[in-house]
Amino acid sequence: MSIVVADRCSKWYGQVLGVSDVSWKLGGGVIGLLGPNGAGKSTLIKLMAGLIRPSRGSLTVFDKHPFDDTSVRRRIGYAPEHEKTWDELTALELVTVMANLAGAASPKAAAETALAQVGMSSAAHRRVRGFSKGMRQRTKLATAIAHDPDLLLLDEPLTGVDPIARVEIVDRIRALAVAGKTIVVSSHVLYEIEALTSEIVVIHRGQVLAEGNVYEIRKLIDRYPHRIRVECDRPRVLAAALAEAEHVARIEIQRTGLLIETREPDRCYDQLAEITLAKELVISALASPDNNLGAVFEYLTSERRS
Amino acid sequence: MTIAAVAVRRMLRGRALWVGAIIATLPIGYAALTAAKAESGQAGAAKVFAFVQLMLAVLPALFVASSIGEDIEDRTITYLWSRPIPRWSVLVGKLIATVPVIWLLSIASWCLAILAGGQEPTAESCLALLLGGTALSIIAAAIATLAPRYAMALTVVYMLFFDLPLGVMPAAIRYLSITHHDRTIADLAANAEDSPTSAAIGVIVIGAVWAVIALWRIRRVEA
Repeated sequence: MSIVVADRCSKWYGQVLGVSDVSWKLGGGVIGLLGPNGAGKSTLIKLMAGLIRPSRGSLTVFDKHPFDDTSVRRRIGYAPEHEKTWDELTALELVTVMANLAGAASPKAAAETALAQVGMSSAAHRRVRGFSKGMRQRTKLATAIAHDPDLLLLDEPLTGVDPIARVEIVDRIRALAVAGKTIVVSSHVLYEIEALTSEIVVIHRGQVLAEGNVYEIRKLIDRYPHRIRVECDRPRVLAAALAEAEHVARIEIQRTGLLIETREPDRCYDQLAEITLAKELVISALASPDNNLGAVFEYLTSERRS
Repeated sequence: MTIAAVAVRRMLRGRALWVGAIIATLPIGYAALTAAKAESGQAGAAKVFAFVQLMLAVLPALFVASSIGEDIEDRTITYLWSRPIPRWSVLVGKLIATVPVIWLLSIASWCLAILAGGQEPTAESCLALLLGGTALSIIAAAIATLAPRYAMALTVVYMLFFDLPLGVMPAAIRYLSITHHDRTIADLAANAEDSPTSAAIGVIVIGAVWAVIALWRIRRVEA
């Protein structure tokens, strides 16, 4: 049985496309929605949460339309992408209110349990106003899980959180998955999704571009030449040293550095370190312009077209 | 009631209540000053009531429009709309929390102001503020659903530049004004052409029309 069924589902915000003609079925487990910013991940999650309705086509959750049928939302837990909450309330008050509205039998007890699960018991009586980003994310997660939903929709739950909070949130999501919950988690960062699940749906420009195992996507990404931008005091010396390397596809000398295109990023980074030490170069900046999914997705879409 | 309870809690911890209370003291000061200047030692009830109506133009914007508008604009309303509750319950919950505060502030302000002006408040005038406060709050809620980003400003603009001026026009168009009907119910209108009953019906009809707009709009707002 499919938990979520999208049938040629499209959503426009005026002239702006949210999702376009998406047909997709979600059976269960943990699914990562992966895509660059503005790809349509949040729109798809909002459609599942019943916050918006499709402009065309349909989307059902547990065989019901979540926008029109409020009862199905009892089985859904939603943590939005945005940070804003009711800052005047304490974490316990906020989660209790949400559990109460979701129909939890003992809202306060449910809220206390949820806050304990996300490691927020010690801050339960503090107002949300003074919370860090990580604490806010954990509080949002608590509001989503307090009523023990069957389907969890987590929109960018790891954005902006510190490494410790990240590990705790990832552990919590994994524990929920082990407990049998169906979880949809979105991110624009591949390694965040990899930490949570191997099953992903790749979204780009409002369309489902690919779905399946994350390692298949990783292979595709690795085929894409990786660009590294180096700013250093003697770019020509560095370029000459790298020119003979097999993994280097192209080198472009720029005013303050050089742009390297490589097929093996790890090897290239190692070699860069070796050359820097050997030639006593001063590197002031090292960046990867490709370190975003947008470029990779452009590459994947162009490859699919060709 | 959960939504109303949380709205009250947020209001008690925010600044709006204090700002509202300060605004509510202004008619008292006005009445006391007017009475002190008058030879009779009394402030004109109609003028004091008009000042209270001016205050009543601000309170729904401060409490109702800002509460609903901010939740939509900040998208905190998604927490509510993702729960198994109908959307209209959010509006009703917020109105249950804020309208009594508007009643309390406006009636207390009016009673204290008219006493400071050397006269006594009538039951009709208090009823007028109850009805008027409710209708204006519904209008504020509707405006907040139509234009959440500018909810507070637009509500004040509506009250000050539409409802109040309309209420002093001689033609039948004044029947679209809550403040005109309020004065009639309070028996403080310049010319007593209309009955308080028809004025009360007028307030209820205007409030109902705006309630329909608010309920229609809240079903379509996307967060």
